[in-house]
This record gives sequence, C-alpha cells and structure tokens, in this order.
Amino acid sequence: MKSNFVFFLGLFAALLISWAGIVLGSNAQLGSLAPYFDDNEGASFPPWMPGEAARGQLVYRDLGCAACHTQQVRRPGFGSDQERGWGDRQSVARDYIYQPFPQLGLRRIGPDLMNIGGRKPTAPDADDLLHMLYAGSGGMPPYRFLFETRPIGVGAQPSSEALKLVGALEPKAGWEVVPTPRARALAAYLVSLKTVYDYPESVPVAPPAAEGAAPAKAPAAAPAAAATPAPGATAAPAAGATPPAPAGAATPTPTAAPAAPAKTEATP
Amino acid sequence: MKAEVTPTDSSSSCPLLLLLAKGLGWLVVSGVLALVASIQLQNPTFLAGCPAFTYGRTSAMAETAFVYGWMANAGLAVILFTLGRLAGEPLRAQNWAVAGAVFWNLGVLGALVGIGVGDATGFALLGLPKYVQLLLFASYAAIAIPGLLAWSGRLRQVSYASHWYAAAALFLFPWLLSIAHVMLFSAPVRGVLQPIVAGWYAQSAWTLWLAPMALSAAYYVVPKVTGRACPSYEFASLGFWCLIFVGGLTGGRHLLGGPVPAWIPSVAVVSCALLLFQVIVVLLNLRGAFLGKGVSLKFIAFGLAAYAVGAAVDALTSFHAVAVHTQFTYFDEAQRQVALYGAASTILIGAIYYALPRITGKAWLSGGLVRTHMALTFVGILLLIGSLSLAGVIQSQDLLDPKVEFADIARHTGPWLLAAIAAQAILLLGSMAFFVNFVGTACRIMDISEPAVFDPPAAMEARTP
Repeated sequence: MKSNFVFFLGLFAALLISWAGIVLGSNAQLGSLAPYFDDNEGASFPPWMPGEAARGQLVYRDLGCAACHTQQVRRPGFGSDQERGWGDRQSVARDYIYQPFPQLGLRRIGPDLMNIGGRKPTAPDADDLLHMLYAGSGGMPPYRFLFETRPIGVGAQPSSEALKLVGALEPKAGWEVVPTPRARALAAYLVSLKTVYDYPESVPVAPPAAEGAAPAKAPAAAPAAAATPAPGATAAPAAGATPPAPAGAATPTPTAAPAAPAKTEATP
Repeated sequence: MKAEVTPTDSSSSCPLLLLLAKGLGWLVVSGVLALVASIQLQNPTFLAGCPAFTYGRTSAMAETAFVYGWMANAGLAVILFTLGRLAGEPLRAQNWAVAGAVFWNLGVLGALVGIGVGDATGFALLGLPKYVQLLLFASYAAIAIPGLLAWSGRLRQVSYASHWYAAAALFLFPWLLSIAHVMLFSAPVRGVLQPIVAGWYAQSAWTLWLAPMALSAAYYVVPKVTGRACPSYEFASLGFWCLIFVGGLTGGRHLLGGPVPAWIPSVAVVSCALLLFQVIVVLLNLRGAFLGKGVSLKFIAFGLAAYAVGAAVDALTSFHAVAVHTQFTYFDEAQRQVALYGAASTILIGAIYYALPRITGKAWLSGGLVRTHMALTFVGILLLIGSLSLAGVIQSQDLLDPKVEFADIARHTGPWLLAAIAAQAILLLGSMAFFVNFVGTACRIMDISEPAVFDPPAAMEARTP
C-alpha cells in the first residue's frame, strides 16, 4: 500500500458503506413510519405518551433500568416471551415511534416490560409499582432514594400519596413514605407501557390453521387498507396507513396482512 | 543491547507515559466499578440506597472507564509508539498529544460523574453523556495528530500491517463518534432507529477502533520479539480490508428477533462469518506469538487466541437457532468480556510490556509483579468468562421455561455469579500490580545510572519485505 490517498479513500469508503447500508438503509425503511389509523376505533395507534410518562422514561433511562429489563417481545417460537405473559404479540417498530428514548435493553435479569401496563389477567397499577420500587422484589433491589420518608405534621392529615406499607416496611408512627415526583413519573411511564393494538405487521408469521378465507382476501385487502386513512385525523401522511410491511421488516410475511386490514374493511 | 532504545522512543516519552499512566489508572478504577457491579448482580441490595450506584449506572461507569479510559489511552499510547518507530524518527507535534490526553481524560472523568448523577444514555459502549462527546471528539483528534504526521512523514514509502490498523483506528473513531453524536443526540432518529444506530456504533467501535488498535500493536510486537518477519504476510492486507469493510456490518446480531427489519440481523450473520477470514489471516501472520518466549508474547498469544475464539463464538451466536439460547443472558456479557478484556486488552498489555522499557530505557521495576500480573490476569479472565458463560447457559435454560420465576433464576445462577465476583477481584488485584509496577518503572526514568539491557533478538527495525 504505497499511496496514502488511496488508503484513506478505502477507509472512507468502508465506513460509508456500512453506515449507508445499515443506518441509512433502515432509516429509509422505517424513518417515515407513521401511526396506524383504525376506522373502527376512530383512533390512531400507538397512542401518544402522556407527559408524565415521557418524564418517567427519562428516569428509567438515567437509573439504567435497561441494564436488567428489556422492552421487546419476540415472536412465538423465539424464546418464551409470550408464554411468560409479557405480551400477546411480538413488538414491531411502529410500537416505538412516539418514544423519545426507546429502551430495547440488552439483558433479561428481570422480566420484559414492553407490556407491563397491559398484562393479563391483572396488570400492576401505579400503586403496585411504587410499592415494588420501594420494597424491592425478588432479584430487584429497593429504590428507596425515590421516596421521601417524612414526619406527618402535628394535626395534619397524612398525604394521600403516601404508600400503604405494612409489616417490616411500615414507617414508625407519625411518619409517612411519599413517592418523589421522579418515582411517580417512573410509575406513570411503566403503567403507560402497553401494546394495545395489533398492527398488520405484528400478526404472527404462521397464523393458526383453518382461516381459509383470509389468504384469498389478501390481495384486495392490503390496497384497501392503504387507501383508507381518514384524512387529517392523525399526523399520518398518506403513506401512514401501513404500507404492507417491506419485504424484510421484522418478521411479517404477506400472509400476515389480512388480519388487521379486515378490521379496516369492515368500516361502514 | 543499547541500540534497542533509540532517540525515537525516549524523545516521545512525555505523551506516551502520560497516556499510559492515565490508561492504567482507569484500568484500576474500572476494575473497582466492575467489582461493585458484579457484587450487585449477585446481591442486588448492595449499595442499593445510593442513587449513584444503581446496577445500571455502575455497569455503565465500569464500561465507560474500561473502554474510554483504559483501552483508549493505552491503545493510543501503543499506536503512537508503534507509528513513531515505524516512521523512524521522533514523534512530531507532541504538544497536541499531551493536551489531547489531558482533555480526553477530563472528558472521561466528566462522563463517569455524568453517569453517576443520571446523564447516562443507556446505549452499550456509548454510555458517554451527550456533553462530553464533543470534548472527547476534539481531544482524540488532537492526540491523533502526531500519529498521522508519523504516518505521512515516514521515511520509507512502503507501509506495514501495523501502520494500516493504527491509521484506521486513528482516522475512523472520530468519524464514528461524530456520526453517533449527530444521529443519537443532536438530531436523534426516531423509534427503533436509535437502537439500530447505537448497535452499529458499538460494533464499529469494536471492529474499527478497539480491535485495530490491538492488532496494530500485535503486528508490530510479534515480529520484533520473535525476530522473524510475519509468515504469509501477503495475506495481511486482505485481512485488513476484510475487517474494515465487513466489521461495521456485524452490529445487527444483537437485534435478532427484535422490532427491527429482519435484514439487519441477516446481514450480521453473513458478515460475522466473513470476518472469520480476517481472524484466520491474523492467526496465520502472527502464529509466531504462540511459540515465542517472554511476557509480551504470552499476553499477545493469549489475546490472539481470545480474539479467534471470540470471533468464532460471535459468528455462531449470530444464528437464530443459537441466539435463542444466548440472547439477553450473561453469555452475551461473557462474549463482550472475551473481546474487550480477553482479546484487545491483553494484546495491549503485552505491547505495553514491550514498549515501556524502550520508552523509559529502564527494565520493569519488579519481575515478581510482572509474573503476578500475568498469572492473575489469565486466571481472572478465564474464570470470568467461564463463570459468566455457565451462568448464561443456566439463565437461558430457565428463561426458556416459562414456569421458572426470576427469583429462581437468580438462585440458580447465584453460585456462578459468585465466581464472577471472584474473577473481578482477581483481575482488580492484577491491575493494581500492573499499575504499581508501571509507576515504579516510570519513576526510574530520572535515574540515569542503570540503563536497561535487552535480550536478543536484535533490533529489527521494520525492514522492507
């Protein structure tokens, strides 16, 4: 290698190729992913994150919760994600479009939290989560610094937000444990984590057998879905109504298309 | 043989010793943090009341101190040393490197404090808070200036494998960091594109920055110590370009099964397999390391073996059928340690054992500490990787069975996590021995009475093949 110029050109080209391929390639595919408007429900999905939940995501990120918890449910047959009740369907890119800091996570030292606010049969509510944060659970340490233990003023009522603690955790008489705004935001964020809508691309690759009619409809249904976004109802541009997922996206295949478009078609 | 120490080395001792001292200091700091993090894995209540040391923050701080503190400083010192020697003249623009080193390390300190107070980004290998990234970018560019001058001003027209890897590391990292900064922090991309960009950055930081720094050192030290040119050297450039072109495409393997386009992990599977070609070339070129004697070669041989094993395991676990057993488990962590500690760090340590006596003109202070460090490092790494892998296998079996609760998983993996704590403690002791020995040796630079004696083979300054 005698020419410095050619050498550096090679380095430049190498980085450019991987950047253009991986980063720009996926950006071209997903960068304009829009919410999905369902005529039946008259709403678009995913819903916006409430403001407090968005603040809670910052708390989640800065405490490093993602070091132990993922937020991605994999498809059936890939791990036991769905058998564990973490979600009814796989997570898809559209689930995250309104999240300023998606927390996919890398380790599962604790359970997945993709759908913790929508668990069945009973999802934990904010009080349960705050209690869990204060007390710790199983392998999770307590996060006491997210709470304030303070005296109840003389003649004052206890705070309505105070945790209802019993047993060893109960504060001494005249004291109460109150979640800080950060703890409340974190709980609000966790409660907001739910996958409430089945997008066309989130339907499993191999649907249960005996839905014979579905494949026949597929060709007609898909374009119909693409043509029915209610104009102006959401920020969705025309393309927003789910271009049938690009060939490689997540896992969907053409057979996945019929399920959700069928809903759209049923609109009067 | 006094000829072994040339004015090239001694005249550049200031920036090199500064970088090495900072690097070794961060190695000890990251060892302490990694020990705390590993204790927290086994006993979650450890330091639980201290907001600066939640497990997420400690592990991010340990990783940042290790990669941007230890590996960056040590790697830069080693490649500046190598480039200076290959250029055949003293390093120019040393002031830039000194200033860059000072600000780089202030940046790393700022990053650690930032993570502790809650400004972590949550991305693997990019835990750096937003506000230190520009500082690190500028400092790195400053440190790289003497290296690039040594590259462009070299006396011989021909360049060597060591040159290529070093130049790639110097040139590509600032670019990678700037792209990641723009796409994740200045003008963040949306939704899952963020993990895609972060995954691309993390993998590229390994294949285009950390691994090339280590390989540059290995390509320089192994022929020098064995006294023989690299066998099959004609393949070296193919291996180099294979790593540079393919390396950045392998990042998607961590996203397998995730909410990203399926072609991203698919590209990674192919790329990981292609990358094995580069590993074979490196092993072919540097096989002398496995036969030679001496501390440097032993560390480098260990590192090369780890590099090969790590690449093979990466290729294997990028397949869907294997990944379902390893994804999201401690096995991933073991793989990371194989690459960062087992491969790159040990090669850099080997190169430091070679370089420091030549920079200072003094032998290492204590042979006992050198042997202690070597034994502790090898035992520690093997124990760490072994225990994390086994913990990962147990964890994955349990995770796949939906009936096993997380408390039970913690109980089943507990003994192996205890072994990982022991491994971190052993590694920390080894690092401290290394640090003490380094400081003692560096302090002897003032002492002119006792120049070092170098064993043969004689100096073999880069010769034209």
